[in-house]
Amino acid sequence: MAVKSNVLRDVSDSLCFVSDMVGTRFGDKHPEWSWIYGLLAEYFKEVCRAEDDGKPIAWINFGIPSELFYAMDIVPVVADVLSGSLASIGKATKYIDIAEQYVPDYLCANNKIILGAALAGDAPPPAIFVHPANPCDSNLATYPVLAEHFDFPYFCVDMPYFRTGSSASFVATELKKLVTSLERIAGHRLDIDRLKDVMQHSNRAHENILKISELRQAVPCPYSSLEAISEYGLVLSLAGTPQLADYFERRYEFTMDRVDRGEGHLPREKEKHRLVWIYGAPTFDFSILMWLEKEYGAVSVANMNNNFVMTPVHDISTYDGIMLGLAEKLTLLPMTRECGGPWENWLDATMELIRGYKADAAVFAGHVACKSNWAVMKLVKDKLYDELGVPTLILEMDLFDPRITSSDSIKAQFDKFFATILHK
Amino acid sequence: MGAFEELAAVSEDIHNPLIADWKASGKKVVGFFCSYVPEEILLAAGILPIRLRAPDCSDISAADTYMSHLNCTFMRSCLQFVLEGKYRFLDGLVFTNSCDHVRRLFDILREVRPADYPLLHMISVPHKVDDDLIAWYRGELLEFKQAVERCFDVNVSDDALHAAIEMCNETRASLKKLYDLRKADAPPISGAQTLAVTVAGSSMPRDRFNELTSELFDELSRQEGISGYRARLMMAGSGGCDDPQYFKVMEDMGGLIVADSLCFGSRYFWMPVETDGDPLLELAKSYLIRPSCPRMVDSVSERCDFVKQMVIEFKVDGVVFQRIRYCDLWGGQMLPMRESLKRWGIPLICLEREYALGGIGQLRTRIQAFLESMGR
Repeated sequence: MAVKSNVLRDVSDSLCFVSDMVGTRFGDKHPEWSWIYGLLAEYFKEVCRAEDDGKPIAWINFGIPSELFYAMDIVPVVADVLSGSLASIGKATKYIDIAEQYVPDYLCANNKIILGAALAGDAPPPAIFVHPANPCDSNLATYPVLAEHFDFPYFCVDMPYFRTGSSASFVATELKKLVTSLERIAGHRLDIDRLKDVMQHSNRAHENILKISELRQAVPCPYSSLEAISEYGLVLSLAGTPQLADYFERRYEFTMDRVDRGEGHLPREKEKHRLVWIYGAPTFDFSILMWLEKEYGAVSVANMNNNFVMTPVHDISTYDGIMLGLAEKLTLLPMTRECGGPWENWLDATMELIRGYKADAAVFAGHVACKSNWAVMKLVKDKLYDELGVPTLILEMDLFDPRITSSDSIKAQFDKFFATILHK
Repeated sequence: MGAFEELAAVSEDIHNPLIADWKASGKKVVGFFCSYVPEEILLAAGILPIRLRAPDCSDISAADTYMSHLNCTFMRSCLQFVLEGKYRFLDGLVFTNSCDHVRRLFDILREVRPADYPLLHMISVPHKVDDDLIAWYRGELLEFKQAVERCFDVNVSDDALHAAIEMCNETRASLKKLYDLRKADAPPISGAQTLAVTVAGSSMPRDRFNELTSELFDELSRQEGISGYRARLMMAGSGGCDDPQYFKVMEDMGGLIVADSLCFGSRYFWMPVETDGDPLLELAKSYLIRPSCPRMVDSVSERCDFVKQMVIEFKVDGVVFQRIRYCDLWGGQMLPMRESLKRWGIPLICLEREYALGGIGQLRTRIQAFLESMGR
């Protein structure tokens, strides 16, 4: 009889392997890569230990503050990090295929992977599933259905469509309702002192993220393309932990040192292009980013998802202050910010990235399921060119499924872009 | 011209002589997307609300220069109408965040045609229901009311809102009475004809619609019911299902459509709005708690239950679950709908379609197979 798969263990095992491999192959030259993969591997090991110990595990969607879960002794697993990790280790397509027996192919693969894994019995049922009402229909279409199908607790943090003066306080009320649900799951009340401790870790990480964001704008770019993409998952999964705070402290010092020495990830003379990925990037093959560096000297200096430019939570002395601060963060979190509201949110964040990071081209890794971004892509592309003179490469792909557009096809489109548009 | 002919004529185009007469008298017309926009607020302002459609839109090439092929053809067709100027008779457009496609159409409009419509407004509708969210939605409706008042220099009083609610409740009651007639073994009206009536109701002055439906009942009472059909069908699924010809293809195959769960159909009128108390609060409550679209996250099983309730009440033999390609919301609902209907022993066929009627041969084949699978 076949041994039943468990997606958490599959990802954990693979990340441990990758972490060891990165350490062995690149440890001397790129210790920072080992830090990222080591931290991710350790996080998933912790998730597996929690499962073994029968601790409650919550599945959450990006945007939902991990801090609340750590404060409640509930282990958060960010569904998007899990699906992205499964895609990166080549184990996502079978779950996509399973999901497509029940829902249309055009739903987001990010959601289909989770749905397929659950339907296959390869995903242990969570103690609760939590997601925000933003940024897309596919989340709204999938997660409540998943919770209903498997009859596990579920909470949606509703959010006003527009960010106004009152939207954060509205979301804070929603987060307080979430806490009430979590208290039922955990079997105990939220310990406010514990939450304050967690928030201190969260803020320590965040303050360093902001400082690093400024350093990353340097020429040559002190960050590698791979890190610019990979840290998104770290922040979502580990916000509020001392491990993440330590990582960013160390990462800041490392980056500062590089900038002080005038060094970049690539030597100055080899950094020919600075790309901003104005949406996601193909999670099934991040090596494309390294190929771009090697082939074209094109460093992916920034990515929409790794653009955590909102401020840390100001007031962590009271419950109300913390909830308001977390609500503000939620409404400004990457992807929620760009994809969930009016198109200007995306345009403004993108223009800021391109200006700040001194990019000479934008890349839209157009995820086929992301209908909202595709709908206004022409508007964004035109504005970037008209106002900044920056061209945009528009790629159609599934970020999680290489069968839609292969890595080779993506590279071929980059070849044409560099040969024709950038002329360099 | 009989009442039905007049209503059917109204359903055939986005513009009609009744709208022209309304405009000629100096009054305003505002188009809206989605059944979560309370038309009562516009009516109370003396404005004619028109539910937006793009009938007979067969070329969406202009819209395709903005939107992607990954966007639904309902919204691309509406954008085409915008770009062709076919909505220029409207004095405003009202949107909700009902789905990704609709909200992006609002964005594109603001960018490419900002001056064409004096009123361009989006109502942010909650995705679930509790007291806080009803209060939020009420606040949104208040903002909408104020936007209308500012834009058209009118005052919308509570009394006017109550009167508008009563007028719309009359429409809802008429439509429910019409649907009740379809419970008969030999219903006096087909599904395609019924859809023409409900669509007309969203495209003309409501008082005239209420008069015409009264006349329609007289007409129907003199008519022989429809018999000899092979099966009684129910239509469920996504928005943009406003073309009676789509229903007619199925009915020509012998599947008489006797009920629906559609936002151009029963979900629009199934529950009246309470007329006591604060009218905006009553609107907020009623619009949120009535049979829902899957944009509402807390009513997955209720949507299936509503279909089951209709199946029982209308003696339905099988359910046709249709959705426009790229409609995520109804796509996700396929899973519970399939599982629930299977558990209840209710035959189901899932169809994917585009906004404009096409692939009729394939549709006929699928319906034929569905009818045969039910032994009909």
